[in-house]
Amino acid sequence: MRVALPKPLEIHDLTVAYQQKPVLYGIDLEVEPGSLVGIIGPNGAGKSTLIKAIMGIMKSVDGYVKVFGDSSRKALTRVGYVPQRESVDWDFPVTAMDVVLMGRFGHIGWFKRISKRDRSFASECLEQMNMLPYANRQIGNLSGGQQQRVFLARALAQQSDLYLMDEPFEGVDAITEKAIVDLLKNLRNQGKTLMVVHHDLSTAKDYFDHLALLNLRLVAYGKTEDVFTHDLLQKTYGGKLTVLSEVGSRKLNEKQPTQEAL
Amino acid sequence: MLDFAEALLDPWSTREQVIWNLQIVFMGMMVSLSCGLVGCFVVVRRMALLGDAVSHGVLPGIVTAYLITDSLSIGPVWIGACLAGLGCGASIEWLRTKTPLREDAAMGLTFTSFFALGIVLLSLEAGATHLDPACFLYGEIGLTPLSPKLELWGLPSGNQALWNMGVVCLTTMISVIVFYRFLLVTSFDCSLARSLGMPVIWIQYGLMLLLALVVVASFESVGVILVLAMMILPPVSSAFLFHRLPSILMCCLPLSIFYSVAGLQLAYSMNFPISASMALAGIVIFLPCCLLGPNGGVLTNSKKLKTRKSSRDLSAN
Amino acid sequence: MFLPIWKKLKYMLLILVLSKEASVLKAAQISSESDKDWINQAIRFWTFTDPSIQIIALGAILIGINCGLMGGYVVSRRLSMFGDTLSHAVLPGIAVGFMFSQSKNEAVLMIGATLSGFLGVGIISLLKRHTKMKEDSAMGLVLSGFYALGICLITYLQQSPNGGTSGLESYLFGSLVGLSDRDLVPLCFCLSLIIICFILLNKELLLSGFDPSFARSVGLPVDILQFCIWILMAFCIVSSLQVIGVVLVSALLIIPAATAGLLTYRMSQILVYSGILGALSGIVGCFLSFMGERLPAGPVIVLCSTLLFLAVLFFSPARGILPSWFRTRRRGQRIRFENTLKACYQVLESRSFSSQSFPQTALAQRRGKSDAEIEKEIGVLIREGYATRQEFPTEQKSELPSETMVSLTPSGWEIASRMIRNHRLWELYLTKEASYAPDHVHDDAEKIEHIIGEKTVRQIERILDNPQRDPHGKPIPSQDDIDRGWLSPPLVADK
Repeated sequence: MRVALPKPLEIHDLTVAYQQKPVLYGIDLEVEPGSLVGIIGPNGAGKSTLIKAIMGIMKSVDGYVKVFGDSSRKALTRVGYVPQRESVDWDFPVTAMDVVLMGRFGHIGWFKRISKRDRSFASECLEQMNMLPYANRQIGNLSGGQQQRVFLARALAQQSDLYLMDEPFEGVDAITEKAIVDLLKNLRNQGKTLMVVHHDLSTAKDYFDHLALLNLRLVAYGKTEDVFTHDLLQKTYGGKLTVLSEVGSRKLNEKQPTQEAL
Repeated sequence: MLDFAEALLDPWSTREQVIWNLQIVFMGMMVSLSCGLVGCFVVVRRMALLGDAVSHGVLPGIVTAYLITDSLSIGPVWIGACLAGLGCGASIEWLRTKTPLREDAAMGLTFTSFFALGIVLLSLEAGATHLDPACFLYGEIGLTPLSPKLELWGLPSGNQALWNMGVVCLTTMISVIVFYRFLLVTSFDCSLARSLGMPVIWIQYGLMLLLALVVVASFESVGVILVLAMMILPPVSSAFLFHRLPSILMCCLPLSIFYSVAGLQLAYSMNFPISASMALAGIVIFLPCCLLGPNGGVLTNSKKLKTRKSSRDLSAN
Repeated sequence: MFLPIWKKLKYMLLILVLSKEASVLKAAQISSESDKDWINQAIRFWTFTDPSIQIIALGAILIGINCGLMGGYVVSRRLSMFGDTLSHAVLPGIAVGFMFSQSKNEAVLMIGATLSGFLGVGIISLLKRHTKMKEDSAMGLVLSGFYALGICLITYLQQSPNGGTSGLESYLFGSLVGLSDRDLVPLCFCLSLIIICFILLNKELLLSGFDPSFARSVGLPVDILQFCIWILMAFCIVSSLQVIGVVLVSALLIIPAATAGLLTYRMSQILVYSGILGALSGIVGCFLSFMGERLPAGPVIVLCSTLLFLAVLFFSPARGILPSWFRTRRRGQRIRFENTLKACYQVLESRSFSSQSFPQTALAQRRGKSDAEIEKEIGVLIREGYATRQEFPTEQKSELPSETMVSLTPSGWEIASRMIRNHRLWELYLTKEASYAPDHVHDDAEKIEHIIGEKTVRQIERILDNPQRDPHGKPIPSQDDIDRGWLSPPLVADK
């Protein structure tokens, strides 16, 4: 009997709140390995929140997330996260090389020295993103596109199996955009799974082979050609489900006893 | 000019003076080094105000430990301070999450209440103790040489205060070196820390415990409020000089020597408290770093802008 | 010679300690005029006949009101730590003011302190704007740097030939003792300034604090208003310094206002409550400090305000922790009997509403609970008037001598059918409007059915166009069915 490999991502009934209002309500999602998934939806739909909830940065009120069949913190060692540019402290005293090397810490071991091999691997990752000439520059002294490429180089250095990326195309030039798309497709072809928060509908169809339509709840998930339809997009972008949001809000405010007292 | 040189060298004229002053300088150097090393991470994690809160909040713990054990030996005082510091941190967190209070109000409310409690406890027992509340505010590093002398194998080897501070200083240096990667990653990018499997919360608590240790060891010398100066001044000054964290950490050593020596000289010539003079010396060094430092100094930036602008004008023409 | 230096340091410490003793002595003097009996002392305080007591009481109350009112805007604009920085930054100004005036001339000290505070604030802004220093580092730097400068200047002054500096260190922790009626003048001035500003600029302050960018877009001078707040804060701090002390004055700017924030959301009410709470902390703290001979006023007043905060936090009937906990428990109990009633409906439905009553055992089966538990649950229902119970003799073939039959009262029926309607309606909404899978909606409906309000139900019925059946095909009770009570089986349209 063949034992099924655990799926890279399994989300069940996930509810995440922010300031007593639900941002995600009852999300159910299963992702197959080797998918390049675009997460799309209107502003405030919870796209970034979904990624953050998977990483454990935001706490979920209900439901669970399993990464490769494991819901504990250990599972996150197989996940590479590329954050939104605005959430990084660009004044932090690190260079581009420092950032990429940080991605190798998991492989180096916490207390071992950084070997020449690690350094050369980090250089290769920077090279792949055309950032090697800037290796010793402090990250605040880089342009927007260059900053994005440093973080992608770090993601490469991590050699993760599941990548979560939060708006990697935001505010980058055309050359960087093409570089990122090529990188994503390369990683996908290597069998990695990628979940990418994306804001631009016009390019979503071309960049991703699967789409997750999100607006407080998961409107639809599937292959791009099946899901990128007028009806489903209308449901996703057609305005806030105020009733769902209000009722969800009330449920969060009531805290526990929506269940029986003993 | 000669008078100035004379005034400068006057405190160092006799042998007893030199030994006396060296002890104070050494103490001051260890205090600033420990505070500076911890302060680098406090500043880079944007925890400066939390550092302020914790250094005030440990007071009731210190006072209680003192009242129970009737001495300022570092062991029980550190335990008391850690408990109070952790209590302070936990209260801030609880108030922030479980009540409508926002973070800054939670911090302000908690640490001032803890501090007030400490002062009240101290005042209630003022007759029984010889601790003056003002001592907590700016310490008395000048009394270092009066600390009981220690002898190892029959040889005079410094005094108790210096040894205590030395152990703390060494602990701080070792902790920073051993846990450097953890501190670096959790300060820069918590999500990467999670990806690497680092225990983010434990590292935060570890840093707070180290902070409490440094505050406890330093408050007798520089008082609780100036501990903050010693924590913030080194990293913000060296940030204008270097652009990598290891260099900033290493810069704490020469800075601490400067603070100590210059502070002592200033204190002798102007009759200021030594701890406050050390802080003033720190500010004196901070100003040129801030203005002229190669890494983001105010005037260097505007010069860069001017040269960029003029080269743009040139190319436009 | 180094010995004089050491002697000077010891001297300085001695002066500090002695002057503290002196101030303690003075406090003792106030309280030892009559006998040492503390009840008499207390009565002496609260009758306010003694002029020195009148002054300190009035001073404490004024400070409480000033800081409370000011605190309303400090807390809502997130300036709490800023107040702490400001209160430390005024120290050099006090020393310099003293140097200029050669005495404790209040006006000069206040002006010096205010200017010093502003210098500190200005430096923070400059550092933030022109360097990459972050706000918290800048604030910490100014806080400790100015404080160091202040300490240096004060010790320098204490060694100068002019004595009479023994009042200066009372600025560290505060003392009620040196308070004269001259000291009340700046407090009254500050209070009137605060009241006038708050009344005149009420709307502007509210808007600029809540949404600065919108306020700017409608032409409000947001920066000037912020500046006004800072000036008022500085005045408030400086006038309260003598009683509360540098280290703790910021506490009074935060704690009463934070307490008021637990009681209400409206700014005008926050200001009023905050002022009252501040005054209360002031007078009680003043009393305790007066009674305890060694207690400095500042920390005691702060602790009083903290205790008030904790009392409101735990016991306030609207949002306090203990009343909330009790409410939560009661809600849990209500949910339990609502679920029982729901199960009753489901049992009746499974029998196609052929009879008004059903056996208790059937209910036990549906609820999945033991007979004893069901016995208790039905008991609760009967007590609340939602159900009735009767013993009926069974047919001969049954083993049991009698069977307990339960039936619902009209009010019980109303709740039961309402729960069922809520549940099924919500399931339908989730599947049709929100695209959830039909097999995933049950758990959520189990929770929502208890908290969804009538208004939302109407909304959903409108959105779904008065539906008849839920996603599993079960009929949804209409309002008619609910209102009619158990007179006849619910009319369910076939198809």
